[in-house]
Amino acid sequence: MNQIDFTACPECDLLLNPAVPVVGDKAHCPRCGYLLQRPRKQSIERTFALSIAGLILIFPANLMPLVGIKILGGAKDGTLWSGVVALFEEHLWGVAVLVFLSSILFPLLNIILSLLISAHLYFKKPSRHLAHWMRWLQHMDEWAMLEVYMLGIIVACVKLASTSELKFGFGLYAFVALLIVTGMLASSLDKVLFWRQIGQLRK
Amino acid sequence: MKSKKTALAQGFIRCHDCGRLSKQPDKNRLCPLCGGRLHPRLPNSFQRTAALLLSAFCLYIPANIFPIMTVTRLGVGEPHTIIGGIIALINGNMVPIALLVLVASILVPLLKLLGISLLLLNVHYRWQTHAKKWTIMYRIIAFVGRWSMLDIFMISILVSLVDMGSVAQVIAGPAATAFAAVVVLTMLAAKNFDPRLIWDNQR
Repeated sequence: MNQIDFTACPECDLLLNPAVPVVGDKAHCPRCGYLLQRPRKQSIERTFALSIAGLILIFPANLMPLVGIKILGGAKDGTLWSGVVALFEEHLWGVAVLVFLSSILFPLLNIILSLLISAHLYFKKPSRHLAHWMRWLQHMDEWAMLEVYMLGIIVACVKLASTSELKFGFGLYAFVALLIVTGMLASSLDKVLFWRQIGQLRK
Repeated sequence: MKSKKTALAQGFIRCHDCGRLSKQPDKNRLCPLCGGRLHPRLPNSFQRTAALLLSAFCLYIPANIFPIMTVTRLGVGEPHTIIGGIIALINGNMVPIALLVLVASILVPLLKLLGISLLLLNVHYRWQTHAKKWTIMYRIIAFVGRWSMLDIFMISILVSLVDMGSVAQVIAGPAATAFAAVVVLTMLAAKNFDPRLIWDNQR
């Protein structure tokens, strides 16, 4: 395979010499300003560790009640899953599927794929699936919307606070922790470095 | 006229997934690193973006006309449209949250629809000025899109929590599906738009 010593900006296609920024530096495209690379300290190790933490946290965040409510004697607990079921029961199956994908399935797959990829890179174990996993991870990235869900919880709580008694469950704390971990995960994963490592494992 | 500086003008194609440059190949070759299909630009970017945008425009109307949820209290039902929900929040002295919902569910979708239309006009009429600013606008549009899901998540939480039969109940309305579709369609439109088209037109 003949090696090409150039890169190109993904948003304006400017031909560039590959930048080699050090940790703490950022490489921007000189023409359009696109953030080409932002290296992180121990990107692979941190991604590996954070995705394990995420995988642990995702169970309590999904299975335990996030918010409980009491209105005139009636009480009810809400989980991520109960929101999907409630939409399904009102025959809004399209919205139910969308909420299921963006709040449960994609965050889970995101963490599992990060774990698989970083574990393979950490142990320097080649796999022919690595490139596929990495591609799926990139396409799925923007459809996992835990942080938007958090904002939804806040707005719903404010709406309910005036008419009913609210109780925050253990699941909510796990959910917030999961949110922080996935945020750190996204920023520690250096895509340029990961692709380079995948390419080197291939050889 | 293409500037000589772009990778495409020099005979290179950048892989959409892993960013590797390849020599301009015959049609439908695959990227040697990740196996993704190589295209010099996103295929049919203009047409796909325009089609998705047009559908989003159409669905934006029912999303705002029909009730997005019906709040029943002690047997008396009260349907809310998106704007109605915001007015209810203002009346309940919850102005900051009302502003948040206003931004997420009215301003962001509307500005996205208009912004993507402008980007398409830019490409079609080959506007020559401010290519960098247009690219920044594209980045903002691609970034904020997911935050419109706020309303959908809030409804999913309210529907599952407030379900006490005749005492208090929240039922999602037909606008929820239309609104969710607008969010997804505009996200897909932004994803299919290729900002390199802006730069290709610059002389």
